[in-house]
Amino acid sequence: MEFLLLLVSSGLVAGAAYGLIAMGFALVYKATGVVNFAHGELVMLTSYISFTLWTTFDLSFLPLMAITIPISMAIGLTLERAFIRPMLGEPVFSIVMVTVGLAVILRGVTIMIWGPDPFNFTANIPTGIVRIGSVPFYPAQIYLIVALAVMALAGWAFLRFTRMGVAMRAVADNETAALLVGISVSRIHATAWMLSSALASIAGVLFAVNYRLVPDLWFQGLKSFPAVILGGMDSVLGAAIGGIVIGVIESLSQGYVGQGVREIAGFIVIIIVLMVRPYGLFGSREIERV
Amino acid sequence: MRTGHFKESYGQLVALSDSPVAWSWAGFGIALLIAAPLVAHNYFLTLMVAAMIAVIGAVGLNMLTGTTGLISLGQSGFLAVGAYTNAILMMDYGWPVLLSLPAAGLVAALVSLLVGVPSLRLKGLYLAITTLAFAFIINHLILHNEWLTHGPNGIFVSGAKILDLEIQRGRPLYYFVLAVTVLVIVFALNLQRSRIGRAWLAIRDHDIAARVMGIDLVRYKLLAFMVSSFIVGIAGGLISLQIRFINIDVFALILSIEALAMIILGGLGSIAGAALGAVFLSFLPEAIRYVFALFGDPNSTVYTTYVYEIRGISYGVVIVLFLRFKPDGLIGLWRDARKYWSNWPLAY
Amino acid sequence: MRMRIIALSAALLASSAVFAADPGVTDTEIRIGDVNIMTGPASFIGRAVSLGSKIAASEINANGGVNGRDIVIVTEDDGYVPSRSFQALTKLIEVDEIFALNGTSGTANVLAMMPLIEENNLPTVVTTAPNELIYNPVRPSVFTIGASYEDAFFGQLKYIHENLEPENAVYGIIRQEDDFGVTVEAGYDRAVREFGLKDGIRLHYTRGTTNFATEVAQMNAAGVNVLANGAIIAGAANVLSEARKLGMEAQVAAVWSENMPPSVGLSAPAGYDYLVGDYVALTGPAVDEFLERARQYVSEEELAGLNRYTYVTYIGLKVLAHAMEQCGQELTRTCTVEQLRQIRDFDTQGLSGAISFDNDEQLSGTAIAIYQLNAADKTFKALTDFVEY
Repeated sequence: MEFLLLLVSSGLVAGAAYGLIAMGFALVYKATGVVNFAHGELVMLTSYISFTLWTTFDLSFLPLMAITIPISMAIGLTLERAFIRPMLGEPVFSIVMVTVGLAVILRGVTIMIWGPDPFNFTANIPTGIVRIGSVPFYPAQIYLIVALAVMALAGWAFLRFTRMGVAMRAVADNETAALLVGISVSRIHATAWMLSSALASIAGVLFAVNYRLVPDLWFQGLKSFPAVILGGMDSVLGAAIGGIVIGVIESLSQGYVGQGVREIAGFIVIIIVLMVRPYGLFGSREIERV
Repeated sequence: MRTGHFKESYGQLVALSDSPVAWSWAGFGIALLIAAPLVAHNYFLTLMVAAMIAVIGAVGLNMLTGTTGLISLGQSGFLAVGAYTNAILMMDYGWPVLLSLPAAGLVAALVSLLVGVPSLRLKGLYLAITTLAFAFIINHLILHNEWLTHGPNGIFVSGAKILDLEIQRGRPLYYFVLAVTVLVIVFALNLQRSRIGRAWLAIRDHDIAARVMGIDLVRYKLLAFMVSSFIVGIAGGLISLQIRFINIDVFALILSIEALAMIILGGLGSIAGAALGAVFLSFLPEAIRYVFALFGDPNSTVYTTYVYEIRGISYGVVIVLFLRFKPDGLIGLWRDARKYWSNWPLAY
Repeated sequence: MRMRIIALSAALLASSAVFAADPGVTDTEIRIGDVNIMTGPASFIGRAVSLGSKIAASEINANGGVNGRDIVIVTEDDGYVPSRSFQALTKLIEVDEIFALNGTSGTANVLAMMPLIEENNLPTVVTTAPNELIYNPVRPSVFTIGASYEDAFFGQLKYIHENLEPENAVYGIIRQEDDFGVTVEAGYDRAVREFGLKDGIRLHYTRGTTNFATEVAQMNAAGVNVLANGAIIAGAANVLSEARKLGMEAQVAAVWSENMPPSVGLSAPAGYDYLVGDYVALTGPAVDEFLERARQYVSEEELAGLNRYTYVTYIGLKVLAHAMEQCGQELTRTCTVEQLRQIRDFDTQGLSGAISFDNDEQLSGTAIAIYQLNAADKTFKALTDFVEY
């Protein structure tokens, strides 16, 4: 029982990281129809920036994020303006490939600026052990789970209640119709990139605090794909839930099956799920007419 | 200036090319490739072989992604299956390369059925990520089935012979790979103009409409998976012949993304485009190296510490710029140039 | 025209038969190749490797070179991908015309270069990947410096068993699922067999894993209190941090990459005073002396990236240069290989055990010293001298 609880708790932590990263993917996909292959790199870049801010100003977590998030949003906006906006009207496929090129660039730039050395990034989060029931946690792990809960709620409320959120759903639904009713589609795209970068920075900082800051952090982007797919690519809340589910399944499969199965468990799950539901658990079904 | 160009029979319509000019250019190109080893540097031949293998892989992927519209990120997995099949059959079972190489293609094709069947209902990026999942799983299985694949130790591949001629290095390897490349391209061109190729195009353009026209979606989609993977498997087998040692690190997932980049940069859906894209991306690092050697100051510290990283970044920049300014790819560039010359001196 | 090309190439062929029997050597210089991890997350290892070659070359050149010829290092990046190592070495051989190879990257990368090395009879000193796959079967021109991970782990576990004597010891291992992990487990296996240790659990993980929570929970459940930690860098740190979370009291044996300053920076906060076994010196006068010499040739900025991999390639190039020097003015690959094979008790000034290649495996420097980390001040102290296991 003790063992099971431990597995579930560590699965929640890993799943929260997947969920936060996956939400960033889903947001951009929902608004622009593009899978941003550079999202993992964005996660890495923003956490390195945050690391520099932290070493320079020695801030604690919340003030640190208060500075990191706006900077990340500015980066998201810049990247959208410089790389994605000029591609407007091109096939989705070409835009996806641009994000692949962007990913290569960001990876190189990160190593050029910060070097390949790994860092210990604590963001001044205490490292004493906290017990919930009998299960031990590091505070940073709890931060990660709480961050996912808060962001999932905020994301849902944003899309449900705010003007911008509703406009974003309209664009996702039908871009041309949205244009016709006076929604600035390009502004929606830019907003999606900004918010997605903000999510990336939260995910990046908390991931790095929990699992160290290393220049292959970008790989977590690929590792989060099962969460995005499981939730349905255009469902932001689904991505958060998908992350948690994948995290817990990975942890349990490693615990009870073992020998590296964790690294592929998520992918096996999505293959099975997609056979039954080709649009993920919460994704919207596309209805086509010939 | 050419004025009208009329095709009057079905045979003419589906002919590979009715232009003697095109035929003679193709002949000239092949002659050039045959003559290349007589003058070219050995390192250049090595690069050419790698580029031709990339061409084979890209043509295979193009069949699935460009022609049939099924996006695949599973390329690295099928390359690995092909390479391992070839290596295991040659080294552990003593098969001659002329048997083990087609077997590499066949096994990859069979494995692709395992990917294809669950993927039938999937489209677009859902499919892309499912194939990515398969690549992850294939790597995992190769690593964890030591009895068959030698697991983490990798396999040396040596002694491939055709009629007592060692074909794993230098010119023999070059000519062997060249022959396979030409075969694959001709095969792909012929397939594309057949009933099957046209069925694939119909599926790409609209699969439901295609079904209405009487195209069996299950059959043709699985066929696309199999034929594409067969070719990719052969490319994998050739990789094992060239490098002469394979382990799982050779087949990193990044290969899948590079392969997609090749066919998109080349011009999606076109075989010539896939080939051009593969050659372009294979030589890009060398070209960047060359440019750096011309302009770089080898004594500055920034340069020496970061030159390798900067080269990597330049690779990304070229891809982005290309997509930005030539979204229909290299083949689009080629078409523009051709149009310009055949219409000259008139603008259009 | 065509006739001229044929004639020309015939002439070239004929001339190459006379002069270019051994490329890379001119009257003034000798070109030594270095295929290395210069890009990507593992590039801090490659940079340290490169630094070692650079220091050794500068030192040799400052002392008159090898019989008057300067050593020139040509570095190629392989990004830790075997197929690129193959391409990089092809370029070094065909375009840069190197005489010998000193820096090599990981085990699989060396294996991918092996056919080329054998074909060209390229004198090669492997220092960064002393894996059994490299020297068994032995390749005539390949010389390996360094102990295997097997010996390193056996040595550490032996020390723990004999000197630290943990009560009710239960041993456990976590290792990477690749060629490197296999040798780590071999050392563990040997210790378990020879000392009749209680083998609690054996876990494998896939390269690139960051989250070790489950593995550590399994270790804890198995009651492990001597942990053979085969994870590296961030992975090793994550294992230890999870262990601390579960309150595991354990003696930890670690991979030698865990004595590099960046790794220590990650792992030390967990508070485990782990052991490492290494075939180069980490502390003591030999290292201080080396640093002093190194300062003459490289900048402080470069020196910041120095770690154990710098010492091993430094030693490698010194040995190679020594062998080339023995050949005199008529420097050929065959002679260099012959001289390398005769090296006996080459003194590395305390940076490692003495180097002797006059054995069947052409393997040396296999003696391991055991060090222990002081997690509080992030320094190592030597527990044993260099010992063969």
